[in-house]
Amino acid sequence: MSEAMIFDAVRTPRGKGKASGSLYTVRPVDLLATTLRALRDRNALDTSHVDDVIAGCVTQTSEQGACIARFAALTAGYAQETSGVTLNRFCASGLEACNQAAARVAAGFEDLVIGAGVESMSRVPMGSDGGAIWDPQTQWEVGSVPQGISADLLATTRGFGREDVDAFAVDSQRKCAAAMERDAFAKSVVPVVDRNGLPVLERDEYPRPGTDMAGLAKLEPAFEMIGKQFGLDHLTKPVYPGVERIDHVHHAGNSSGIVDGAAAILFGSKAKGEALGLKARAKIRAVATIGSEPMIMLDGPIPVTRKILERAGMEIGDIDLFEVNEAFAAVPMAYMQEFDIDPAKVNVNGGAIALGHPLGATGCMLLGTLLDALEEQDKNVGLVTLCIGGGMGVATIIERV
Amino acid sequence: MTELQSHQNPAVRGSFDPATGIATLTLAMPKVNVINDTFGEGLRDALAWATGPKDSPREGLKGIIVTSAHKDFCAGADIDKIYAMRDAAEVFAATRSLSQLYRAIETAGVPVVAALNGTALGGGYELALACHHRVAVDSPKIKFGLPEVQLGLLPGGGGTQRLPRLIGIQPAVEAILQGKEFRAPKAKKAGLVDALVADQDALLPAAAQWIADNPKAKQPWDEKKFRGTLSGPRPGSPDARNMFMAASAMLRKKTAGVFVAPEAALSAIQEGLSLAFDRALEVEARYFTGLVVGDQSKDMIRTLWFSRQAALKHEGLPKLAEGDAAGIERVAILGAGMMGAGLAYICADAGYQVVLKDINQEALDKGVAHFEAQLRKRKRHLDDAGRQAIRDRLTPSLELSALSDNGGTDLIIEAVFENLDLKHRVTRETEPTLSADGIWASNTSAIPIGDLAKVSAHADRFIGLHYFSPVEVMPLLEIVVGPETSERTLARCLDFCRRIKKLPIVVNDGYAFFTSRVFSSYIMEGASLVAEGHDPVLVEWAARSAGMVVPPLQVFDEVTLTLGLKASEQGKVYLGEATIEGAAMDLIRALVEDHGRPGKAGGAGFYVYKDGRRKGLWSGLKGLAKTTPERTGVDYLARRLMLIQAVQSVQCLASGVLRNARDGEVGAIFGIGFAPNTGGPFGWLDRQDLRAVVTELDALAKAHGDRYAAPDLLREMAEKNEKFFPDTP
Repeated sequence: MSEAMIFDAVRTPRGKGKASGSLYTVRPVDLLATTLRALRDRNALDTSHVDDVIAGCVTQTSEQGACIARFAALTAGYAQETSGVTLNRFCASGLEACNQAAARVAAGFEDLVIGAGVESMSRVPMGSDGGAIWDPQTQWEVGSVPQGISADLLATTRGFGREDVDAFAVDSQRKCAAAMERDAFAKSVVPVVDRNGLPVLERDEYPRPGTDMAGLAKLEPAFEMIGKQFGLDHLTKPVYPGVERIDHVHHAGNSSGIVDGAAAILFGSKAKGEALGLKARAKIRAVATIGSEPMIMLDGPIPVTRKILERAGMEIGDIDLFEVNEAFAAVPMAYMQEFDIDPAKVNVNGGAIALGHPLGATGCMLLGTLLDALEEQDKNVGLVTLCIGGGMGVATIIERV
Repeated sequence: MTELQSHQNPAVRGSFDPATGIATLTLAMPKVNVINDTFGEGLRDALAWATGPKDSPREGLKGIIVTSAHKDFCAGADIDKIYAMRDAAEVFAATRSLSQLYRAIETAGVPVVAALNGTALGGGYELALACHHRVAVDSPKIKFGLPEVQLGLLPGGGGTQRLPRLIGIQPAVEAILQGKEFRAPKAKKAGLVDALVADQDALLPAAAQWIADNPKAKQPWDEKKFRGTLSGPRPGSPDARNMFMAASAMLRKKTAGVFVAPEAALSAIQEGLSLAFDRALEVEARYFTGLVVGDQSKDMIRTLWFSRQAALKHEGLPKLAEGDAAGIERVAILGAGMMGAGLAYICADAGYQVVLKDINQEALDKGVAHFEAQLRKRKRHLDDAGRQAIRDRLTPSLELSALSDNGGTDLIIEAVFENLDLKHRVTRETEPTLSADGIWASNTSAIPIGDLAKVSAHADRFIGLHYFSPVEVMPLLEIVVGPETSERTLARCLDFCRRIKKLPIVVNDGYAFFTSRVFSSYIMEGASLVAEGHDPVLVEWAARSAGMVVPPLQVFDEVTLTLGLKASEQGKVYLGEATIEGAAMDLIRALVEDHGRPGKAGGAGFYVYKDGRRKGLWSGLKGLAKTTPERTGVDYLARRLMLIQAVQSVQCLASGVLRNARDGEVGAIFGIGFAPNTGGPFGWLDRQDLRAVVTELDALAKAHGDRYAAPDLLREMAEKNEKFFPDTP
């Protein structure tokens, strides 16, 4: 088996995922094409060498339907030999795309593959693709609640109160503001331009530097009404009978932001890199995926980390830096609590609470962010993981070369 | 013009009037219209007659009216038949057949109007839904709806598909999942019927007029432009999706997920609404079939339908001899508390002259106020004169003489505090005010009637009438026959019971009779589990997950812990100190005496209350636990809470307090909120391997005491592999 190397990672800035957001006027296919063009141009890539574009995208309907990966590659002017495939593993789709790209290279089936992700949450609303997840029958047979309820349930079972999760959010904003201050994202972020070359968005627009506890304290819990009034909390009772009541602590300020964006990473074999004159920045040490209890849904990063560490023959202490997606504050908090990790190692440049979580793209973005951070801090090994709808976890360990 | 043509089969009378072009199909089965094979064949045959064969349709046919020759239009399916069915293929075929017949009606090519002269429920109302228009007589006595879920079923004749398409998802979900019945005016408002006419005579002309006005009538779902529902969110839309999500959650909140029928109904509605109509009916039939052949509908039908009907008809109970009359016109209620005042209200409402007697003016005033509140709340549909007539039958009084007036009282019902001496005193005091043949009844919930009757001058006319609180709402009446109570006294009280519209069970004498005994075992076991160190949150959920309507600690708070303490003193007299004392009693005592938590009325009990509302279990409960249990968990706790009640029930049957298992089922479900999904404690046992149950009880008795000892009757039945209801399919 050969090794899968990372040659380059790019992403768009993240725009607010609503009609007033900067990227609202940009088609999702153009967002993804923006990152593909950047990979090509930054690496003087003859795209006929790219075997495939694997793109994560969660809401694959309307403008994001019909295999957006293939049409983004064509839109970006890639060689027609470069095929495209779109996949959905909910919030980890972007990382899953990277893992599959790396796996194909590592397996020796392909030599140069792009792992990518895209989501325009402003143009294609979350959930508009339907699915069995909404059926009453799924309730009776599987049991599932909207993620916000799961997040609050996770916080309740882990003993995180409103102040705890708010403090985490304030810290995410602080780290993000510091990173933007020193242009820590500049290595990866490529501007989105319009058809005339005019800039549409050049920097992440979601962060709110200066967010403090007092400001967050004013926000109403987002899921209390659907949880209590519509009775959704009660759906968790069969699985969590010992939880008398869910403490609704999450709100817009301590949950991941709804944003638009895309990302792409170029993977390839050592040999192909050498042949094309590409410099490897890191290699993939291991990838893993796992299913977890679907009602609480969001604690998949914990078991998948155990799994990937075992697979890689490593221990938690071997990891220098972590990216644990901030879907909700309770997720990385539960992760740190479980493994007793120094917070200084986790999400060092802030996370989705500050920057936003463009569903299908986030995993790919986090992998790039982790690589940039390892390089900036001159550390070696990093782990990225995300929680996933339906109760799953995906993880990747990279090592700089 | 040619003459009126007619047609007849065992279910339907058909007539065709060439002058108007209208064929009228009158459902005219013997006695009542009930959906069975005869009905299906008859309706199919009559429809074919009305429309004529495909290759030569009836000339001049302009429309069809479906109506009934009976008081009811059609009150639904033949429950006997559904109850007996266990073969899925057979049920599915029969369901599809009826569904396709109904489909044939709405696609007959001419307007079809349901002329609803009377009640249409279940499959009867589904027939009306398969017509293009529903016109009904405007009478509050006529009801419409789809009550199938109440018997563990769902509307399998297209109801889950037509109603939401017609009135919108949310109203239809509410109507079907709650099994709501709508009286004519409300049915019109809700859209279950399209038009009302003043009386029977106006019905067929209105139907004929509609046919004349709508010659091209089609069902909305057969129109090309139909978008899924006539009103409200469209199927598949985010709004519809959120609605279904909320409906799932509300249902689970209410039922804890123990009822399969409303869940299947909701699934059928959601799934079917996005499908082609004919195939949506097939989806409905598949869900329906699963319910029909499943255990839950059998158990629910047995108790909630057959046993309840038998109890309402007083089957197996003494009746007044030919020419004999109950002779009860004047009733007196002793004690004007909630129960006494409530009893006075239901008696006055039933047409009795009622004296409400108390010894305290303040209590009496409160009682009268309660009576008035009930009158306002429950008689809104009457005018002032109607309410006044009920009020006129009430005489509140502090004077004993009020009972002696007009020749004395025919029935005295005592509702004073649970105290043997007090009840004895009251008996001695008031018995002389009875009319010549008057009956003296105690509403005691536990004290043996034989003991109470010791001071009676005529114990043959002394009886227990045990009501449940709130008496205006709770349907059950537990009639307790003392050792000397005469059969005629019982028969007269049953007549009284019928007039006040209560559902009776008749039990023999014994401490706490049946319902109180099972109920107290349930709540005491809840307390016991807490004392053993089980998580009270799990205890409460375990009860609900087993189907118990109210969890034990919650209901203990409602009846008050103080009452539990008082009852325990009384219980010691009859059952001995050893039976009563134990960890549960210690816990109750500690809660009341050391922690000032007497129950809901006192503002604190197992739960914390704020402004009378439950705010969660008291966090101090865990600190009162005496031990740490070796084994816990929802399943284990649910077994304990169910088994303890089952053991008590079997003991009542073995000792003769219960005259039969049927009364035990009816009493447990309608009196104390025993899990309706099981059909009752005996039905619950019937679904298990009794040998395994006995083994389980032996282990529990060893670990937790004799209250779990398996009754001999249960052991014998286990050995012989017998069932309490051997005839249940």
